[in-house]
Amino acid sequence: MALRAAILGHLRVPVEKGRMVVGSGLGLGLGSWIERRRGMSSSHDDHLSKEEVAQRVLSVVKTFPKVDPSRVTPEVHFQKDLGLDSLDNVEIVMALEEEFKLEIPDKEADKIDSCNLAIEYIHNHPMAS
Amino acid sequence: MSVASSAGYLARRAAQKERVRILYRRALKDTLNWAVHRHLFYDDADELRKKFEANKHVEDLDAIDRMIERGEAEHNKWRHPDPYIVPWAPGGSKFTRNPTPPDGVLHSTTVLSPF
Repeated sequence: MALRAAILGHLRVPVEKGRMVVGSGLGLGLGSWIERRRGMSSSHDDHLSKEEVAQRVLSVVKTFPKVDPSRVTPEVHFQKDLGLDSLDNVEIVMALEEEFKLEIPDKEADKIDSCNLAIEYIHNHPMAS
Repeated sequence: MSVASSAGYLARRAAQKERVRILYRRALKDTLNWAVHRHLFYDDADELRKKFEANKHVEDLDAIDRMIERGEAEHNKWRHPDPYIVPWAPGGSKFTRNPTPPDGVLHSTTVLSPF
């Protein structure tokens, strides 16, 4: 036990030291460096905030030709509230896939029938960007 | 008679509607795959939509089944051999390809920052 604690303590010290050296020596924190790397990478691991997802979903629905933009709210149901039919629904889901660079399996895409559900699904999707 | 048969009718109808939706979705995606430019896709998509709308009011269940069969066969025949797949998805160009993390993330003591 004592040995383990000693090893752990020993291991922890250089890490702290190293970070301080990097941070102070170059005036550029490691954190911001990683952030910057992440921004440049194309791994799609961007973790969109729910507000951003909601705003982009709504703008996609609003620009759909058959939709009256003034009636679109986050709670709106595509077929019941907007007067669309099932094929329009398919088209909207495909537009959403393109907007967020997603590939949704057919059976799951078929279940998305309202703004709420679309926002929820896309927000929980790890690859949405 | 009526409750059981109408329940069966509704179930069959719902299954048909789902098949049509999924067929339309796949056909629409394939239309985009075949289109060389985006502006060509819009016309093709309108045409596809018209094909579906033409049989919108068919009521006979067996006739609908036959039409769906025919539509699926036609779609199968014209499927794109090399469709667009989102890079991270199965079959995509980046599927299961994970870059090694940059050195600084794992060993902060040995990092030599390029900046």
